[in-house]
Amino acid sequence: MRAYLRFEVRRLIRDPRLMLFSVLGPVLTYLIFSGFAGSGDQLEGVAAPAALMVGLAGYGAVAGVLSVGSAVAQERAVGWLHQLRVTPLPPWRAVVTKALVSTLTGVPSVVAVGVAGRLQQDVHLDAARWTALLLLLWAGSIPFALVGLAIGYGLAPQVAQVVNFLAFLGLSVLGGLLLPVTYFPAALRHLAHLLPTYRYAELGWRSVAGLPPTPSGLGLLLAWTLLFAAVAAWAYRRAAVGR
Amino acid sequence: MGDIVVRLTGLTRSFGPVRALAGIDLSIARGSIVALLGPNGAGKTTAISIMLGLAPADAGTVALFGGSPTEAARAGRVGAMPQGAGVVSAATVREVIELARALYPRPSATDRILTTAGLTGQANRRLDRLSGGEAQRARFAFALAGGPELLVLDEPTASMDVAARREFWAALRRYAAEGNTVLFSTHQLHEADEYADRIVVLAAGRVVADAPPAQIRALAGSRTVAFDVAGAAITGLESLPGVRSVEVRGDRVVLTTDDADATVIALAGTRGFRGLEVSVALEPAFLTLTDAGGDN
Repeated sequence: MRAYLRFEVRRLIRDPRLMLFSVLGPVLTYLIFSGFAGSGDQLEGVAAPAALMVGLAGYGAVAGVLSVGSAVAQERAVGWLHQLRVTPLPPWRAVVTKALVSTLTGVPSVVAVGVAGRLQQDVHLDAARWTALLLLLWAGSIPFALVGLAIGYGLAPQVAQVVNFLAFLGLSVLGGLLLPVTYFPAALRHLAHLLPTYRYAELGWRSVAGLPPTPSGLGLLLAWTLLFAAVAAWAYRRAAVGR
Repeated sequence: MGDIVVRLTGLTRSFGPVRALAGIDLSIARGSIVALLGPNGAGKTTAISIMLGLAPADAGTVALFGGSPTEAARAGRVGAMPQGAGVVSAATVREVIELARALYPRPSATDRILTTAGLTGQANRRLDRLSGGEAQRARFAFALAGGPELLVLDEPTASMDVAARREFWAALRRYAAEGNTVLFSTHQLHEADEYADRIVVLAAGRVVADAPPAQIRALAGSRTVAFDVAGAAITGLESLPGVRSVEVRGDRVVLTTDDADATVIALAGTRGFRGLEVSVALEPAFLTLTDAGGDN
């Protein structure tokens, strides 16, 4: 399993196209929009520059994590999934490894937007808080990794790419990662509060404010994770045994 | 020798109204090179997928080394090139080989795998930058790297050029000579004829012939001449020109012949016949294999 993980991580590092979109996009967006927020403004219980930083870091992470879904669809189409299944590597380990690698894809954008926040907007957090933020935004991306796998195992490559993008756009925009939900109409705001993306960013906002995660937030994230895991497992089983 | 590595019994599989496999029985002994020969759509890929545990059968059983395909795969006894000529992107030839070596319990040495697959010069090239033939050899290297006892290859030489093919087959021969078993599928008679020591011909989901290459080759060129018995004497038919065998099916006599023209002329001259019918010895589907002859 370690060998397969190493193999996948090396492939990931070698393909910087994946990163470009998920790192450059949110960093540029942050540099442009964080300037408009007044330094005194509060969003999601923290200072506006920090709130936007967390939102866009999450936005980039979700983009990165989901992009693995398109890669999985491609690999399945060329027969790599079947090729692996004939080896001694148990299928569940292959899937878990792939999910883990997906979550790693989100880390660079979290780091990059964090650096932008620190350098450009002077967001001040102590080392422990920065570390906590990074770890939370990494671990919190698991449900999105599962969405990516479900899409990758379930759909043909061309369709997967489109569905991926729509899922990313829908989840991140409606979840308030790009534009804070404060500016949403009430109905949309209520919807946002139910979405995994909002609850994911909430982990970050609460952590920056020095607060523990809310039980309802954790509960919702967990529920979404279980749902996505079930769909991914179903899609995998369909992809692995069939044709 | 003598022990059975692959045993398929009564395999059937349908896709909607299409019968891909209509009852396949097949046993493969250790150390043999078996070709699964048939035109596209004969059921080769379906049979191989089921054999590898990648697809379910509607009925029938598969045993690899006496256990399930999954057990055999977990034990690292199987290497395969399933259908589909793709490779993953952003990894090098050496990296996939090292991956396979790490996954299998008794891997071969990297240099030896590279030499066998003819990829020594391409070890550090990215898979997605290889030519079609090289990519196919990289998949062969992956299948081979774990030192499996059974290699199952679905159309392995598709997209290889002539030189690559020659090296591929030489490597496969050496591999089998070490006591390993090889099953490969192809739609080219000459390939099966030259490299297998047993040919199993599939047509429309059935095994229509299963014999050593020489016998299959003879069968492919022969015709049958059938006519009514109608009380006529059937002795001496086997000495007519071209005739290889004589069979009586109900009230019809069926002669298998290498030279249908000569056989019919001799028949007409000596005893006459009623309801004469000349046809190919194997199913028409199989003829497409022999017609094409070379590559397509």
